[in-house]
Amino acid sequence: MSNQRQASSASQVPHLSPAELSYLYTSLSLPKNPIRPDGRSPTQFRPLSAETTILPGTNGSARIGFADGTQAIVGVKAEVEKTVLAADTLDSRSLAQHGDALNREGEEGSAAVSGQGEWVQMSIEIPGYRDDDALPIFLGEMMRESLVGSVEHKDEMAGGLKARLVINKRWHWRLYIDVSLFLPLDLPVSATDIMQVLLLSQPLSYPLPLLSLTTHLALLSTKLPKLKSTGEEDPFFDDDWAAAEYLYPRSKPSSGAFHPVRPPVTLLVVSVGENVIFDPNREEISVADAVLAISITRSHDSEALKLLSIRSIDPPSRLTQPGIPNSENASMLGAAPTENPSQEEVTGVWRPRRGGIKRSVVARMIKTVLGKGGVGEEVLEGLEGVEVQ
Amino acid sequence: MASSAAASNPTIPSLNLPPSQFARLQPHAYLLAHLSPPAASDQPSVRANGRATSQFRVTSANAGSLTHTNGSAVVRIGDTAAVCGVRAELLHTEDIASWSVSTASEAEAGNTSQKGGSKTEDEEDRDHVQDLNLLVPNISLSTGCAPGFTPGAPPSTLAQSLSHEILSLLHTTRLVKADDLRIWYQPPNLESEEFRNAGEGMDVDSEQTGGPEPEIKAFWVLYIDIMIISLAGNPFDAAWASVLAALRDTKLPKAWWDADNETVLCSDNISDAQKLSLRGLPVSSSFCTFEADAAAGWRSVVIPNADELKSQAQKQGSQQRWILADPDGYEEGLSQERVCVVVDIEDGKTVIVKMEKHGGWAVDSDDLRQLVDVSAKRWHEMKRILDQC
Amino acid sequence: MADRRRVNGPPGGTRPPVFASLQESTTGAAQRAQRQRQPAELRKIFLKTGLIPTASGSSYLEFEPSASLAAARSNPKSLIPPSSALKVACTVHGPKPLPRSAAFSPNLVLTTHVKYAPFAARKRRGHIRDASERDLGVHLETALRGAIIAERWPKSGLDITLTIIEAEDDRWWGDAPDSHDASWGMMNVLAGCITAASAAIADAHIDCLDLVSGGVAALVSDDSSKSASSVPRLMLDVDPAEHRSILSACVVAYMPARDEITEIWLKGDSSKAALEKGDVRSSHEALIDGAVDAARGANTVLSEAVTESIARSIAQA
Repeated sequence: MSNQRQASSASQVPHLSPAELSYLYTSLSLPKNPIRPDGRSPTQFRPLSAETTILPGTNGSARIGFADGTQAIVGVKAEVEKTVLAADTLDSRSLAQHGDALNREGEEGSAAVSGQGEWVQMSIEIPGYRDDDALPIFLGEMMRESLVGSVEHKDEMAGGLKARLVINKRWHWRLYIDVSLFLPLDLPVSATDIMQVLLLSQPLSYPLPLLSLTTHLALLSTKLPKLKSTGEEDPFFDDDWAAAEYLYPRSKPSSGAFHPVRPPVTLLVVSVGENVIFDPNREEISVADAVLAISITRSHDSEALKLLSIRSIDPPSRLTQPGIPNSENASMLGAAPTENPSQEEVTGVWRPRRGGIKRSVVARMIKTVLGKGGVGEEVLEGLEGVEVQ
Repeated sequence: MASSAAASNPTIPSLNLPPSQFARLQPHAYLLAHLSPPAASDQPSVRANGRATSQFRVTSANAGSLTHTNGSAVVRIGDTAAVCGVRAELLHTEDIASWSVSTASEAEAGNTSQKGGSKTEDEEDRDHVQDLNLLVPNISLSTGCAPGFTPGAPPSTLAQSLSHEILSLLHTTRLVKADDLRIWYQPPNLESEEFRNAGEGMDVDSEQTGGPEPEIKAFWVLYIDIMIISLAGNPFDAAWASVLAALRDTKLPKAWWDADNETVLCSDNISDAQKLSLRGLPVSSSFCTFEADAAAGWRSVVIPNADELKSQAQKQGSQQRWILADPDGYEEGLSQERVCVVVDIEDGKTVIVKMEKHGGWAVDSDDLRQLVDVSAKRWHEMKRILDQC
Repeated sequence: MADRRRVNGPPGGTRPPVFASLQESTTGAAQRAQRQRQPAELRKIFLKTGLIPTASGSSYLEFEPSASLAAARSNPKSLIPPSSALKVACTVHGPKPLPRSAAFSPNLVLTTHVKYAPFAARKRRGHIRDASERDLGVHLETALRGAIIAERWPKSGLDITLTIIEAEDDRWWGDAPDSHDASWGMMNVLAGCITAASAAIADAHIDCLDLVSGGVAALVSDDSSKSASSVPRLMLDVDPAEHRSILSACVVAYMPARDEITEIWLKGDSSKAALEKGDVRSSHEALIDGAVDAARGANTVLSEAVTESIARSIAQA
């Protein structure tokens, strides 16, 4: 069966023994100041290098690399496409003719500026995965849904990204966002070695912030050619690339102009014990109690951040091998293992996580992201600072 | 009763096995013990599931419960359940590659000569329904209906063959009339006058009939999708019954060619919609044979002349095989030979629509004659059930 | 390229029918359905286990049709259904040994599979699973894996298959596809799938921490004028066809006995919610709490169905 590929999860779950998992968990769950393997603070991101406009053939592009060699490249292409009216909707012409025309007129007007979510297409390429595997689809849907559902502002980009893609009633832009992930060479991921059912639990979900930040940068650097035609005529454009306009309005960072609408970023947040930890690496995510992907963007009326979406990700810790306490280990004491291993926690013995998250934990995780001076603001500011040529 | 039958079987030592386990370990002997009770006991010969050999399972049908279909039905035959939904979509003649004026006028000829002879109409139906693929039945077994079918896998061999059997039965029974699926357009007289003025004397025919000939603008295409929700033997009867019930439930909206918009428009008014007028009510009945010694037929030396005598002798002697109506999954697993008889009854006359037998030697012409009688009985039963739903 | 393993329709493709002149028709189809329930009132759920005897565990779940749909069914006038109500069949096969090629797993390996029937939605679906169906499968797997005590079945697999016979609408059919920008119906489908799968797992006698059930809450705005003053309200178990716009929605998988969430999926702009005075929760918290309340409601139905399933298996033994 080709599409039911069953194979080892061994190559995916980091090779950590129950004892190592337990040690990692204990140090990450230390109250107040967890100790991370790489010495970062809970809210600190891994150092990364970023550059934009690296692919000349695209409307916008960006590359971000982690120190370990993992990097993501995103290219954004825009194409002009004819708008087709869906056949199954009420024809606005006939509606306007009959009764309550005023009200309908208003609706028609608003329909003209709002675009369709389908106009943004996203594809994610991860080595070792087919494009219809669960992981790329899940990551793609997650980033796309926050992108098309992102905020609008009265002055800039009314109607959000979707509306920005509208050229006139008959034409629109279609955005193709292609994301490629490159893993360092020493990471063995082979197509045959992936158990499809375990995909998302794999620590591979750890590059999510990387993909999201790169997409954000690529969209910030995306330019659309300047429209020369007006009204409802077939669109034609200024061929001077220097005159092209940014998809998301922006100005020189030095000018200090504030642009309310920004593409969203998706952050990966894990909770370990009482602690909330950002940008977990492969090892950290494999002991997490809960993993949430939280998409945020800048809110239009205030400086506060706005929540766009939350998705829970299956924590890989549920799949790990449990440790056996000495009291139950036959080779240590010679005692026969009991029929029902004790359910309570023994300190220092790893036990895979069970159950879900408390609502209070979810609330705390969201708060750490959204709060004033929190991680979200920091990330968005950092991205804004990346120079665009 | 099952346990007594099992215990009385001479081939089994007096191990005290519960019947359910015996049925799994020695399925053939178990069913044989039920079908051939010892002569001493006055037990009737029944199947392991308590049915007589020619008895069908309890059948129920329910139509029209699905919202997004033109017609739908759920049919349960014992533990086998099939859901069928019929969706009608439009095939515009301009989308048909091979559609030309000549075929259109032929269709017209067929239409007008309808009263003349039904044969033309039938041929016409075949031309359209079959050649244009207006009926699209697909059966899906990947619903977790039985352990053997992998969900998400491409259709299994069984699913493919069932789909094609249903398709060919739909075509050979000519159940759906092509005329129900045609959407005609009568060009207005005005146009013909203009035409006549432009090229006088060219179209003598239309002048004679006093107007342009109506033309076919589109066809309805019926997508018939059958989901086998639960499979416990005999999927074909359940699937066909659900198709039959769903087609009887199908209502097509009134549709017309809108010359202004150059498209086909439909009326959503339910009083304008028309039910399909089906030809007859072909009911399918499936059987399988259970042989006391399954390999006997294959082992015996076949001598052309002696064969008949031998089978005669076999019949008079101990009955070595049974023909089981409506086999369940357990019985299907124990038999090689299958018979499927589709009959229809018109004015009290039984018509054999289809007869198929494969996989063995046991069933002869006398048996087939009997099976037709059994199927005729089943027809009355199914008609009652389908009329009620 | 045509799929040779299936019966294909006309090669040129077909078009869905277009209905005309709705305004003139007296069928009332052009009127948007109105929600008849209270904001916190859930639709009734029909849930039954053990209907598919060939599977280790099975369930069938159906949402009560909304008032408009019920009226349209009892007194049909128009061919266009005002809304639709979820119908899901779920089967569980297993625990069974993993295939030989699979690596050792100390835990029960779940496979979730969600597929829409081609006739489930207003738009005909394809036979091959699309991105949204795979996405649903992943959400469902996350929801269930938190509840199942997986280490009791090492080296085993569990196949969970859900067939959506009738899906929920994403929006009122008369609205242009852009007016609701997201597939809100999918969230209702997910909630139903979680509850149905949970019942089927219990019916298959797989050990769970608790019965996990799904619930949906949404912020809806029914104000036709798109002014800033229109205040979205929090509602539980929304039928998207009944609302002009849904700003944000949240689905959770919830285990009441432990008060824990195993899956959360929230999307949309939840910042504008109007909560009661004195409510200090932020609006997304209120949304999550609402979804949990809906899940609690579903849980009562779920536990009844599971009790029934247990009673049946005891009677058989």
